[in-house]
Amino acid sequence: MDANGLAQFAALQKLPAAVLCQLADQMDRRRFQTGESLFQQGGEVSPLVALQSGRVKLFRQSRQERVQILALPLPGECFGGETLANDTPCPYSATALQPARALVLPPEKLRQLVLAVPEFQEVFLNLVTTRLKQFVTLVHDLAFRDVTARLAAVLVARAQSEGQRTNHGIIIERLLSQQEYAEIAGTAREVVYRTFRKFEQEGLASFTRETIEITAFETLAEIARQETH
Amino acid sequence: MVKQFYQAGQLIFLEGERARGIWFVVSGLVRIVKQSSTGRIQTLCALNRGRCFGTCPLFSSEINPATAEALEPTTLAVLPQTAFKEVSRQRPALALILLSVYGQRLAQLAHLSEALGTWSTADRINNCLLTYADYGAANPVVRLTHEELARLSGTVREVVTRHLAQLEKSAIVQAQPRLIEILNLGVLQSTWLCKAATP
Repeated sequence: MDANGLAQFAALQKLPAAVLCQLADQMDRRRFQTGESLFQQGGEVSPLVALQSGRVKLFRQSRQERVQILALPLPGECFGGETLANDTPCPYSATALQPARALVLPPEKLRQLVLAVPEFQEVFLNLVTTRLKQFVTLVHDLAFRDVTARLAAVLVARAQSEGQRTNHGIIIERLLSQQEYAEIAGTAREVVYRTFRKFEQEGLASFTRETIEITAFETLAEIARQETH
Repeated sequence: MVKQFYQAGQLIFLEGERARGIWFVVSGLVRIVKQSSTGRIQTLCALNRGRCFGTCPLFSSEINPATAEALEPTTLAVLPQTAFKEVSRQRPALALILLSVYGQRLAQLAHLSEALGTWSTADRINNCLLTYADYGAANPVVRLTHEELARLSGTVREVVTRHLAQLEKSAIVQAQPRLIEILNLGVLQSTWLCKAATP
């Protein structure tokens, strides 16, 4: 990947061409198979990952091995390296949900760039604070919204960021198993099954093995906004 | 830097307001909270002397993503955004300090998300007792009200009171107004670590 390719990552667009070249030289091209770990919670400081294609889940696992999915970055997004300055264990894991390609900047090179290049420093701080705000929003949802609203919010967010308009509504790839939808909404698989069936019965969305079609976006968005606690 | 004083319960800034800069706790205690439209509060973190907050809007936008409130009489020093950016350009190492704050906060939020999404309420309350205990005394003590403990652990006061009564019955804690003494730390830790969590 050259500097022009890197400039397609929204978060990196502000970087001057010379810095993009410097960054492109230092990043490794990597491919990940479905289910392969990019980095693990509790491990060393994670690298900075720029996702080129495929999908990845960022998640946290409890001592009882229950999983909370924190984010589903899209191609074109960057993540990782947030605890660079703490030298503390990585706070979450990243695993490929489907075959993925990514550019990876190891922590030691990330540190050098942060210290030596002010423009990169600002871009990286921006990336970390964006992730922080996303986690704040997740805490808000988990604390104040019920499971129905949380599942609606997941579908609405995915429809907004990756949905394709059809004659009937907005279609998204199913991407996650029912267990993984449970892990993103902090509930059990059976509850996801019941909630999705309710959405289908009420004409809000229809589900196939491969796709989810959102047929009443505004109503689903209204459900997603409701705070019950 | 400008010093400012706040009384207990006084708001420092509100979620959605334009950010002023980076705040340092000189003395006292501050909590950062999210509030629902129904008025319920979830504490994201509590910060004492030497900690800083309000750093999030410095880079990705200028709006505070959460509310800050003084929990006790508190002195703060505030460094305006423009001054911070100027200083950090001159001294790149300052960015590492800020990154360190962000890293801690992000780890804390990831942990809180895990707790809210996968732990039982009892586990969340026990974890708060262990996290916020002052370990300086012979028996660790937690200086929080039931209401504050509820906000920290994402539940309501009645549930905290019921749970503490159970712990008291088992001689694991002794609850007094604004003070919870942990009588059996080992059991509290093992209770939290070994219990199978339910959502």
